[in-house]
Amino acid sequence: MDTVTLRIKRYDGVKEWYQEYQLPYEKGKTLLYSLTKIREELDPTLTFSAACRHAICGSCAVRVNGNAFLACKTSLDQLLETFETERLTLEPLNNFPVIRDLVVDWEPKLERMKAVRPWLIPSEDGDPSEGFRQSPEDFRKIASPTDCILCGICSSECGQLSLNQEGYLDPFILNKAYRFAVDSRDAAPEEHIRPALEKGLWKCLHCMECVTKCPKEIDLAGENAYLRQASIQMGERDNKGARHAYAFVEDVKSKGRLNEVTLPMKTEGFVSTMNRIPFALRLIRKGKINPLHMPREVEGIEGVRKIYEHAQGVKEP
Amino acid sequence: MLSYDIVVVGAGGAGMMAALAASEDPDLEVAVLSKIYPTRSHTGAAQGGINAALGNRDPSDSVEKHFRDTVKGSDFLADQDAVEFFTSRMPELIQELDFYGVPFSRDENGRVAQRPFGGASSPRTCYSADKTGHVILHTLYEQCLKRGVKFLHEWFLLSLAVEEGELDGLVALDMRSGAIHPIQAKAAVIATGGFGRIYWNRTTNALNMTGDGTAACFDAGIPLKDPEFVQFHPTGLASSGILMSEACRGEGGHLLNKEGERFMARYAPEKMELGPRDLVSRAIETEIKEGRGFGEGIGAYVQMDLRHLGKEKILERLPQVRALAMHFEGVDIIEEPVPIRPSCHYMMGGIHVVDYKTCRTPIEGILAAGECACISIHGANRLGGNSVADVVLFGKYAGLGAREIAKQRSLPSGKKVKKEADRWIKTFDRMRRKTEGIPVTEIRDKMAETMWNNVGIFRRESEMKEALETVGRLLEDYQDACIGDTSVRYNLAFVHYVEVGNLLKLAKAVALGALHRKESRGSHARADYPKRDDGRFLKHTLIYKKGDDYILQYEPVKITKYRPEERKY
Ligand SMILES: Cc1cc2nc3c(=O)[nH]c(=O)nc-3n(C[C@H](O)[C@H](O)[C@H](O)COP(=O)(O)OP(=O)(O)OC[C@H]3O[C@@H](n4cnc5c(N)ncnc54)[C@H](O)[C@@H]3O)c2cc1C
Ligand code: FES
Repeated sequence: MDTVTLRIKRYDGVKEWYQEYQLPYEKGKTLLYSLTKIREELDPTLTFSAACRHAICGSCAVRVNGNAFLACKTSLDQLLETFETERLTLEPLNNFPVIRDLVVDWEPKLERMKAVRPWLIPSEDGDPSEGFRQSPEDFRKIASPTDCILCGICSSECGQLSLNQEGYLDPFILNKAYRFAVDSRDAAPEEHIRPALEKGLWKCLHCMECVTKCPKEIDLAGENAYLRQASIQMGERDNKGARHAYAFVEDVKSKGRLNEVTLPMKTEGFVSTMNRIPFALRLIRKGKINPLHMPREVEGIEGVRKIYEHAQGVKEP
Repeated sequence: MLSYDIVVVGAGGAGMMAALAASEDPDLEVAVLSKIYPTRSHTGAAQGGINAALGNRDPSDSVEKHFRDTVKGSDFLADQDAVEFFTSRMPELIQELDFYGVPFSRDENGRVAQRPFGGASSPRTCYSADKTGHVILHTLYEQCLKRGVKFLHEWFLLSLAVEEGELDGLVALDMRSGAIHPIQAKAAVIATGGFGRIYWNRTTNALNMTGDGTAACFDAGIPLKDPEFVQFHPTGLASSGILMSEACRGEGGHLLNKEGERFMARYAPEKMELGPRDLVSRAIETEIKEGRGFGEGIGAYVQMDLRHLGKEKILERLPQVRALAMHFEGVDIIEEPVPIRPSCHYMMGGIHVVDYKTCRTPIEGILAAGECACISIHGANRLGGNSVADVVLFGKYAGLGAREIAKQRSLPSGKKVKKEADRWIKTFDRMRRKTEGIPVTEIRDKMAETMWNNVGIFRRESEMKEALETVGRLLEDYQDACIGDTSVRYNLAFVHYVEVGNLLKLAKAVALGALHRKESRGSHARADYPKRDDGRFLKHTLIYKKGDDYILQYEPVKITKYRPEERKY
């Protein structure tokens, strides 16, 4: 391989276009190196952001062939190998307004982040001149979530956000809510959790893209599960998400499997479910569900029930 | 015209602490402008920690010991009244940060954990694994959100307007719209960080550490103090200059030469790898010079070996360091030693602060804090973990100082700043239209090369003269620079043009200060004057800029307690 082609999406505030740049192939370089080389040797108008160049400032995320990466941390060789090509398409992050070329606008995101009250609500155990005591175990709970560098990769990859910009919070915002909800120094976890709940906490599609792409390997899906559980414990059961979860639990407990016919009714209530009749009819027509089929208990249901009994006895982690 | 009571320039640790302190007074209108989003600031890169004599790990530690270590580390060039003020207030500041929510690592009693660091006689560096600056930066940002601090995101400070020795206002470019604004202000806190980028790629600093605020103050008539003192961090990754935290040495890493020898035994037999940075950096360069390094020329290096710490300790205490070595040097420190070499890390010198309690400069209305400022508490050499501490502590006092000024001063007329803005509007226009000339990056790279080769770790007269000449020529070339981008919107080429102009001005001051300091002290090591000379040089350099002329003066060091003695480790 002698040359690598980067096809970059450009935007100048009015028009959009793709522009191709050819670079001599060099082994062991990062994507940021290539972008810098283009800007410094081929085209001074190419605009992208970067600062620390070692994966801590979160400025340099871009999409390569549709997937978001930190440019400074991503090796070009790896990209060429992964996508089995000598031609890469670079675009700005998804789910952000674009300012110019690969530079996106963070201001609306930071505005939204305020929803979850992303700051410590100090408990009475601490005070400004004495600080807090916190056990090493409690510190460990916040060690990983505070790794977040606000790079926006999770927002770009988020399946729900791509469908629903307004009704859902970016994964990094939910991470903030989690980070304070589990901080032993915080007096009011529900103040962080409730806004997350109100902004679509249960809508996560479980596509796991945020988890697999996060450059800091934060367990965003696990955090989401925690926030849901915690919201139920706060008594927030009367919402679609919680009802859906309870319907799952009940169905599996009684029969060892789901009843797809009653599940929507338990989740959304009778009236809303009626709106879904056309959809259900289509499913019936295609043979996807059978309305007359009432699931029987599965074989080994005793085992399933034992699991439930056991789970009930287990203490919170 | 935009007007505020207080404008803070920079949203790193210093800027945000200043903003928090200033905005405690609800009657004052405060704005923070920053060329990058606050959480992108370079404070986030600080890995190792922040010093405060809490005595959690070593009950025999004290503020006094921190004071003494800092003065000794500074090679007696620090102002001792300021150092005492600093060290005695740090313990409480850590508690304040804890109360803000900084996730510090903890000891078994739940107190803030502390680790040993170079040049410290007790383990007093508080940390959060190896991402201390990152978590402090994000926590301060959270506090700013809580308080509703007003940020002007991606606004670039171009210059300061001063009339009759007082601040008239600031000129800034709103990068997104391309509009250039004059801003009236009663007080401005400059907190724009360091300028390690005078060495361009041979630095641990972020791409944007170009000393814009320092240069703006310099142009406005505030002298630069001690610019010749440049800290080289001993453990930059050999191929990229990216920092391997001092925590590596703190946790017990060994430095090895090609013979597999722990060569620090020759230079600091007691402290070994935990000697202060200047000493360790020179030791490494000496090893390389004398042929005991690996590789050759600019690619030469020595090794840092961490394998004996074991996997568990490395994963627990140095996870980020391990990831950095893996991604940027292709080495897993659990399995192999990592190639390292010194890299420019920190500027001890900077904007001349005349009153450490308020961070005022000689010009009424302008204050400075953080790495851009020189108070001086670091003197000729800063100790690891003392900068983030400096940044948050003096950031806070600068915020308080600005509040005081804003209460006393009325809003200046704004006439001068309006004119200054018009001048910038013309410059922006001209540079956008200019189609031919010398590329800015070419000028920048030549500057970095001459600075690294001639005003680097070891210095001599003839080389520094050469650097001065080269920088002088580059300043002329700069008049004919071309940016190659006509855009009004988000024109980073223009921003970079201004940054490089700032670097050139500062590089010249570094070389000039270094040339005239005919002694070796702290980070300033001269091959032709290898000894410290207290008789002639126990004093601060002050460089003034009058038009294109640089004028050199000196000022005495404040010594309250510790008489200079030989600095041995
Ligand atoms: C890799 C690395 C590791 C380090 N580790 C440690 C450590 O472990 N312990 C320690 O004590 N110190 C450490 N240091 C030093 C320390 O991190 C810095 O000195 C300190 O964080 C500087 O903080 P600051 O607030 O002064 O500036 P910064 O955090 O650099 O912030 C500067 C701010 O100014 C803004 N700005 C700059 N120019 C302009 C302009 N023209 N217009 C508008 N805004 C502008 C920027 O946007 C930014 O917000 C480290 C430094 C490096 C490089
Ligand atoms: S440049 Fe800072 S994260 Fe990539």
